Amino acid sequence: MTLDQKTAERIAELARLHFDKDPAAAARLAKELSGIVKAMDILNEADVAGVEPLYSPLAEVAGPRPDEPGRGAEPEALLDQAPERVGRFFAVPKII
Amino acid sequence: MTELHKLTLTEAARLLQSREISAVEMVGASLARLEATEPLIQACLTVAGEEALAEARALDQAGPDPARPLWGLPLTVKDVFLTKGLRTTAASRYLENYIPAYDARVVERLRRAGAVIIAKTNLDEFAMGNSTEFSAFGLTRNPWNPIKVPGGSSGGAAASVAAYQSPGGFGTDTGGSIRQPACLCGCAGIKPTYGRVSRYGIVAFASSLDQAGPLARRVRDCACLLAAVAGPDERDATSSLHPVENYGAAAARPLAGLKLGLPRELWSANLDPEVRSVLKAALHTLEGAGTKLVEFSFPSLKYTVAAYYVLASSEASTNLARYDGVRYGRRAGGSGGLAELYVSSRQSFLGPEVRRRIILGTFALSSGYYEAYFQKAARVRRLIRDDYARALAGCDFLLAPVSPLPAWDLGRFIDDPVTNYGLDLMTLSVNLAGLPALAFPAGLGPTGGLPVGLQLIARPFEEMALFSAGLALEEAFPPLL
Repeated sequence: MTLDQKTAERIAELARLHFDKDPAAAARLAKELSGIVKAMDILNEADVAGVEPLYSPLAEVAGPRPDEPGRGAEPEALLDQAPERVGRFFAVPKII
Repeated sequence: MTELHKLTLTEAARLLQSREISAVEMVGASLARLEATEPLIQACLTVAGEEALAEARALDQAGPDPARPLWGLPLTVKDVFLTKGLRTTAASRYLENYIPAYDARVVERLRRAGAVIIAKTNLDEFAMGNSTEFSAFGLTRNPWNPIKVPGGSSGGAAASVAAYQSPGGFGTDTGGSIRQPACLCGCAGIKPTYGRVSRYGIVAFASSLDQAGPLARRVRDCACLLAAVAGPDERDATSSLHPVENYGAAAARPLAGLKLGLPRELWSANLDPEVRSVLKAALHTLEGAGTKLVEFSFPSLKYTVAAYYVLASSEASTNLARYDGVRYGRRAGGSGGLAELYVSSRQSFLGPEVRRRIILGTFALSSGYYEAYFQKAARVRRLIRDDYARALAGCDFLLAPVSPLPAWDLGRFIDDPVTNYGLDLMTLSVNLAGLPALAFPAGLGPTGGLPVGLQLIARPFEEMALFSAGLALEEAFPPLL
């Protein structure tokens, strides 16, 4: 399929991104994305009837650890990495 | 004695353990070499010179310890491994000033084994790329020829090892990002089985494909490095409980009688004449050594690039949703609300290739396209894995090229994503199937004089067998560095 610019812009919005404001740059990105999607269409040729999707290559993994309290990184050190904090909180613009 | 920075990791480790050289001498030699070569190569984003020397002094005071096999060895890690107190950027403006509060498990295990981290190496932003040109902080040059790319995404790691800045480094491989730069820079490198090495504290790209592993100038060096970090980790639920073997003690196995499968779809792909010439000679050498080469068809491989880019981009789009300008990293200014803060922070500080892949992944996961792209790719992934299992049941290993081209000119594919993605054909399927693969140099191109490599692909958790065969192959194909 081809991915038109309007659809691509809507997808970008879902991803919390936006297209370049310069129309030429936006058109170029849309064209690149459409080219990539077109190349992905080879998947339609694959006979996958009755084949279950595989999301992770291996089944034999450690799995969740026991639910016991332990020490991770210090909360203070993690909070300090925020671009803006207020006391024990990450600060964001007012939403209500 | 040979110059210290030229020692292989195994040689250096022996001299350090026997106190013939000190940790300060070894680390100092690497740092001096780094300082001399870095202006041209630009393999590193952060150099921790003072910290490394301080650690080396402390090691010398305590003395070597056979229980710490990497004692005193200067190493690099790709700048996606979190290092406590040391800037970790993933080569992104978004994380330009990010100082982690904890070490990645790999880094912790390296330190515990006595290694000294001297630098954080360059990469394509968030490991998305195959040339290191998509780093937000500038490109890295190939030490074999500085107008060429070093490969990627672990291009800094490979270039650093090839420039003798350190005897080994760690990279990550989501679709070939250890094997391809190792190949283009003439190093050895292994992508371990998915789950062999903990991903805890590694900046995530595509979590079902990402795997960390070493690059070095010798196969045995890679084995020693992997042995130090492999094994289960309670902080990574996808790490495997499969027992870790003593990889560093691997012995070369005879090549005679070894049965190697050659996937026709990879060998008949559009290979550059330089690559074709070296690999043809390599197959001849292998046959002369008594190796049995069996060609077979692997029909699902033609879907590899499409399946990979759909799945990797989808996983990336969810993983990178965390870069929202709130908890860490950079925040773009603006007077708008929360949604605008997200958009402006992401738009301002994530690079164009990263944004392109996020949009592509969001597309593949969005309502209306999920079944046609994401689900379809995941079904194809099973076909590919099953084809690998069948192929590997009939031979000892698979043997394949790593890159259809030797190192190419800087800038050559930067504006052509579809062609660029296609260059990864040889490596991507191994990640989709979660298999281990060892890349090693096969020789130099007859005209261009650039390294050409091969990869040996094994069944899950057969790293020990890979190293044994790799050591024998290293005798047949002398190291380039």
